Amino acid sequence: MAEELTSQSYEQPAPKEQAQEESIPGVITTTSREINEFLKKTKIQDILNWGRKNSLWFMSQPMGCCGVELIVAGVAPMDTDRFGIIPRNSPRQADVMIISGYVTRKYFPALKRLWDQMPSPKWVFCVGDCSISGGPFYESYSTVQNIDEIFPIDVFVPGCPPRPEAIIQGFVEIQKKIETKKDRGSGYEG
Amino acid sequence: MEAEKIIDSLNAKFPDTISDSQIESEKRISAYAEAGSIVEICRYLKDELQFDHLSSETAVDLILKDEIEVVYHLSSFGQPLVLKLKARLPRNNPEIESITSVYWDANWYEREAYELFGVQYRNHPNLRNLVLPDELLGDWPLRKDYEDFPQKTAKNLV
Repeated sequence: MAEELTSQSYEQPAPKEQAQEESIPGVITTTSREINEFLKKTKIQDILNWGRKNSLWFMSQPMGCCGVELIVAGVAPMDTDRFGIIPRNSPRQADVMIISGYVTRKYFPALKRLWDQMPSPKWVFCVGDCSISGGPFYESYSTVQNIDEIFPIDVFVPGCPPRPEAIIQGFVEIQKKIETKKDRGSGYEG
Repeated sequence: MEAEKIIDSLNAKFPDTISDSQIESEKRISAYAEAGSIVEICRYLKDELQFDHLSSETAVDLILKDEIEVVYHLSSFGQPLVLKLKARLPRNNPEIESITSVYWDANWYEREAYELFGVQYRNHPNLRNLVLPDELLGDWPLRKDYEDFPQKTAKNLV
């Protein structure tokens, strides 16, 4: 008797039941991306892009000394709020991830997890020489080299560290890419 | 206490295990210690000679001499002196007694020397990696014959 109970409780639902659509009265639900793909070919995507490019909320996870410049870019003298660029502490509320430092082999799994937690559409850009090429640590035993093969990076902002104006220009470049539909974050290729 | 008095006291107390003791300047002394008696020497330095602070502890890989040196920097709050104490270990089996029973702040220094050089500290309370990721433990990345550096060239390198 006890064995039957345990076997029933640990039994996983059949895959057919999982694939069935959840029925909500009055609402048509779908599991495909067809609507999303269809909207990309229409003029509605331009309106969506206009909204997205003016609310690029970035995740504040400073990874090195470039993170200090990120703080400067966010406060009153630079005032990124006028472009809609606001720091968010949670990856689930952010649109942009900024790799602002040297990626070690110990930190890389955490960075990958943060990136997976962000909802799509999402963009990523590199700030500083360390994240672009490794900087002075490019040959160290704990370096993850060529981070641009792992993340779909749109903009590189060089400098050691770059000035806050350069970081703001990086955001402006992302805005231009989103407007002209050339960014890698929205997934136009696939 | 003067530097010469400290050296004389050390040499008189440990005539067999202290060697190459010299005065480098009026604030720095250096000496080599036998690896087996490092705890007794450190306890004598702390209790009798007022070296009550361990500034740092690290290791040096001397691959040409085929040995690993453990370096202790001992300083004092009461006198303007720094003692550089070294111990030579064989490179194929670097093993030394932990001095956490004398200086408790040697705990993390010894964990760092363990993960980077592979120095095995006997009677350490918690000998595991300090900041190195688990998959790199056992490679001893700061030894001179470490070869697992990333081989890809950084293509964005300016």
